[in-house]
Amino acid sequence: MRRYALLLALPLLTALTACRAKHSARKPDPPRNAYDTEADWNNADHLIPLDYQQSQGKRLFYMYCVWCHADSTPAGPSNRPNLNPAPHLIDDGTVLNSMSDTYLDNIITLGGSAMGKSASMPPYGRSLTQDEVRAIIAYMRAVAQPAYHKPARPLPHYKAR
Amino acid sequence: MPAEQMGQIPKRLRVIYAVSTVIFVAVLAISPIRDHFAGWKRYEKGYAKFASTRANSRQLMADYHGGIDQIWLPKLNVTDRCTTCHQGISEASLLDDSVPQPFRAHPEIPHHVRAWGCVVCHRGQGLATEVSEAHDTTLAWEKPLLPIRYIQASCGTCHQDSLPETPQLNRGRELLVKFNCEGCHRVQDIDRPAMLGPDLSNIGAEVSRAWVYKWLKEPRTVLDSSGNVVVDGYDTNPRMPQFRFKKGEVRDLSAYLSSLKSPLVESSQIDPSVAAAWRSRSDLLSYGELRFRQMFCTDCHALAVVRLGETQLIGGDIGPELTKVGSKVNPDWLVSWLRNPQAYLPHSQMPRYEWSDKDLYAVTQYMLNKLSDPELLSDVPKLGPATPAEIQHGRRLFNAKGCASCHVIRGIAPQKDFGPDLSNLGGKTVSELFFGNAKVSHTLVAYIQAKTSDPLSVNPAARMPQYHLDSADLDAITTALLSMTGTPTYPGFALLTVPASQPKFDPAGDFGKLYNRFKCFVCHSFNGYGGTLAPDLSFEGSRSQHPWLVAFLKNPQTLRPTLTVRMPQFNFTDQEANTIADYVEMVLQNPLVNKAGVNPKDFTPQMASLGKQLYFVKYECQSCHTIGATGGYVGPSLTNVGNWMDAAWIEAWLKNPQALIPGTIEPRRDFSEPEIKALTAYLLTLKQKSQAGSGTAPGGSQ
Ligand code: HEC
Repeated sequence: MRRYALLLALPLLTALTACRAKHSARKPDPPRNAYDTEADWNNADHLIPLDYQQSQGKRLFYMYCVWCHADSTPAGPSNRPNLNPAPHLIDDGTVLNSMSDTYLDNIITLGGSAMGKSASMPPYGRSLTQDEVRAIIAYMRAVAQPAYHKPARPLPHYKAR
Repeated sequence: MPAEQMGQIPKRLRVIYAVSTVIFVAVLAISPIRDHFAGWKRYEKGYAKFASTRANSRQLMADYHGGIDQIWLPKLNVTDRCTTCHQGISEASLLDDSVPQPFRAHPEIPHHVRAWGCVVCHRGQGLATEVSEAHDTTLAWEKPLLPIRYIQASCGTCHQDSLPETPQLNRGRELLVKFNCEGCHRVQDIDRPAMLGPDLSNIGAEVSRAWVYKWLKEPRTVLDSSGNVVVDGYDTNPRMPQFRFKKGEVRDLSAYLSSLKSPLVESSQIDPSVAAAWRSRSDLLSYGELRFRQMFCTDCHALAVVRLGETQLIGGDIGPELTKVGSKVNPDWLVSWLRNPQAYLPHSQMPRYEWSDKDLYAVTQYMLNKLSDPELLSDVPKLGPATPAEIQHGRRLFNAKGCASCHVIRGIAPQKDFGPDLSNLGGKTVSELFFGNAKVSHTLVAYIQAKTSDPLSVNPAARMPQYHLDSADLDAITTALLSMTGTPTYPGFALLTVPASQPKFDPAGDFGKLYNRFKCFVCHSFNGYGGTLAPDLSFEGSRSQHPWLVAFLKNPQTLRPTLTVRMPQFNFTDQEANTIADYVEMVLQNPLVNKAGVNPKDFTPQMASLGKQLYFVKYECQSCHTIGATGGYVGPSLTNVGNWMDAAWIEAWLKNPQALIPGTIEPRRDFSEPEIKALTAYLLTLKQKSQAGSGTAPGGSQ
């Protein structure tokens, strides 16, 4: 009887092993597998992975905002020391993490004066599209130090369908 | 057989029967069992389980459908079953990093994931329903997933023009052009330029044989152990790659090249009386340096400068680095080159300055004496005069090594397709690639990187020279090569490709002569054609006032407080400056700016004082613009804007800056019509007292 059992088990075993796909263990290396990266401003060895939207935000940030919201710019000295109040660095999570996406969207599109802040912060609502503003916010969130954690609720604007 | 024995089948037969039944049933069961345990089914069930843990599980389950899910794009020849496992690919609520794969939603991109499927961008096997078959290379499936860091290659398969969203791909395509890969290879969509590399027909007149020898051995700046640039008079990152010549080969090639010499044009030499008068003056070299700086040679050429004990290269990279040029070139050649670069190299981008003999003498003496290093060629072995045998062998080597793919020498036919065709490299499967000795994983990406960064590692007999690319550039080139998948095989695909186009701006007439002589397009752009170092001049005629333009051309001042590059002083004559300003005024116009519609006399002092209020208080324009010594560094200085800009331009600009210069970073505002008038009135009052005109001290210093 044992011999039959063995005989019966064999084909079953082969069938079973055949359907278990071997899962190659792919080692995740977030920065290397990202669309783009940004170096942490306080630690050049710390690379922050960026997805597509965040990397578009990075591009726009370095085009429009870096002049006032960073201490060095691709073109040399920063405009930040010329401003009073000095704008926050864009990776300053201690301040920006507590501002909601809607608030950031508003201050970027409507400008500082519309939000009761300094008029030195220009309104970008007529130069940047809604998507571009959201990309910049996504970038700010990605580079924030300390890291930003999104409130647990669905994003209203998601549309990759 | 007795009746009672009829049902008595021999025991042996019964066993055989039983066993074969079991085997038969088992074999029949293999397929359904396999199916039951198929990878995708686990994810099918797993998703349902996962969805039930989410807050919006009802909505997730409403979108859920089991079974094989397939996206079919017949026009692109794509069948894509990835969504069978990647169930949540378009569920907004599953975008979070905490959502386990394969259920996570796709990050937001400009294309609709469900409309395009996955393999169009990510590659991989769309039909497969097993994890490894879908993603990796297996014996039967040859197209693995494209690593995300090269994903821009897929953008480039359809988008042939450079999109701002794909910087890595654009950089890679730029590098393919910069290094002139199409000199030897066929490359998709990059046409072979008429001129490939420097013309060497007269190279013996420019440099010595010893210099050629050294250059051929190592045309690159070497980094010392601490990573500092040790500038040795060479281009820092020359387009010329390193060839692996044997000693005798360098000797013979240098013999051949240094024999290519024809006499220099006599009239280009400096007036001997000027040279005699200046030769022994103590301020000769300092005057030469002053003029060198005022010409802003460093806009295009770099110099090594020691700052805080560290050697740094300062300056542009449009032309070669010049730190030790004095020990490189022949003095007579330098003079005739500066007089007329195009007489030596017709395609050179170097402007033909209008030199006075005094300036030319002082600047060349400065370069020959100060930008030099007597030790530069000290490690070159003694090379006697070139022998006919050396020259002949050198000439043969010039062809055999593929030099003629990039360099022209009169009388030597250019080579075509010296290297393999690369126009469909990105579409190749692993079995089409020859890995040779390379110790890399057998994937297309690894192959491209090995071939590009170290050709010998793949094939020790490779003729391809060595390029020195940093890892970012290597990735960029890899991306560009991966994007080239050959001629589209599906009709729908051809419709998708967006060809690049950049019509050349090549004006005729007197202006055209000046434009081509001073190479305006190297730094400025005109209707999308030209360089990006300096402002776009497509609408300069609508922006600037004629007298300001003439004064600026004669004596360029910087308009941006922090900019280190400046417009060089070209020493235009009055007539030349007027020719340029007239043309700019006539032709480089924007139809939105109606100069006749605005009369500067309509602006009253009351309007101007209201404008001043708006400027400083309501809109705080001073955060970006300087007036005098105070203000921001983002926009141009407005100190002299009343002399500089046209009133109609200012009005149109305040209405909608992007309409005049698309992509300008000046934010568009909601100014009311009276506010625009008031601001314009105020800006027109800003005039520098001593507006720089002809006759004042030259130079860009403020
Ligand atoms: C001309 C300089 C300037 C530019 C350019 C600029 N900002 Fe600002 N920004 C400011 C100033 C000044 C403030 C501070 C206002 C205040 O605190 O009263 C500010 C504030 C902000 C804030 C609110 C947080 C804070 O620091 O108080 C955000 C968010 C912001 N800017 C985003 C942007 C983005 C995004 C861009 C680019 C599209 C941009 N800014 C470009 C000057 C600038």
